[in-house]
Amino acid sequence: MNRSISVTLNALGLYGVVLVLVTAFAAQILLNELPCPLCLLQRVLFSMLAIGPILNIRFGPHPSHYALSLLAAVVGAVVSARQIFLHIMPGDPGYGSALLGYHYYTWAFVGFVAAIALIAIVLLFDDRLRDVAAARPAGRFADGAVLLVIGLTAINVISTLLECGFGACSLSRLGILREPLFVKQRLPV
Amino acid sequence: MEFAALFLSVLVVMVVSWWGSHRLALTLFSIVLVASVAIYLHHATDTLNLSF
Repeated sequence: MNRSISVTLNALGLYGVVLVLVTAFAAQILLNELPCPLCLLQRVLFSMLAIGPILNIRFGPHPSHYALSLLAAVVGAVVSARQIFLHIMPGDPGYGSALLGYHYYTWAFVGFVAAIALIAIVLLFDDRLRDVAAARPAGRFADGAVLLVIGLTAINVISTLLECGFGACSLSRLGILREPLFVKQRLPV
Repeated sequence: MEFAALFLSVLVVMVVSWWGSHRLALTLFSIVLVASVAIYLHHATDTLNLSF
């Protein structure tokens, strides 16, 4: 796999992250569904997933860059699995609207696991992994992907500040009674 | 606040990754990843009082 194919694949990965972040924003704005704290953490980890491809596009493919994305994807999968388990009780409606039959956190879990699998496949076939190269221009397609994902992360900073303010982020502050938090649910005995 | 700070930290890592030094980007990424896990674990033991 040569450098241009690798850059294109990494740019496509970035556009995938952009798609996830834009979909989350669309649900937030069009359906008026504010993200819960766990949902915000999943968005943070999707943004962190983008850092490996950004480094790959700028410095060329390197195992350490793929490792960053793998670490972010593993933590993201753990966090989204945690939220799935919070809503696993029969009769629980889940948090927010379902998209194609699954909630956002379920899609997030699928996305993080897919990212792990895709990175493993790329590592399997990328025989040009070597020392970090000098930074090189990557072309408009890849530059656009990087700037889009940086811009979306900046918008998330503002959106989260507007939602949570400078205090601890909790949906009870927003008037939503049942919080899908990180927490252990206290069940009746 | 902690999530806005996390997003801001990720934004800084992205900017450093694209315009700054490679080593600094890796170091900052490690710090932000540890902070994310710490925030998750800090809240994981909270108790939620349900209405039923």
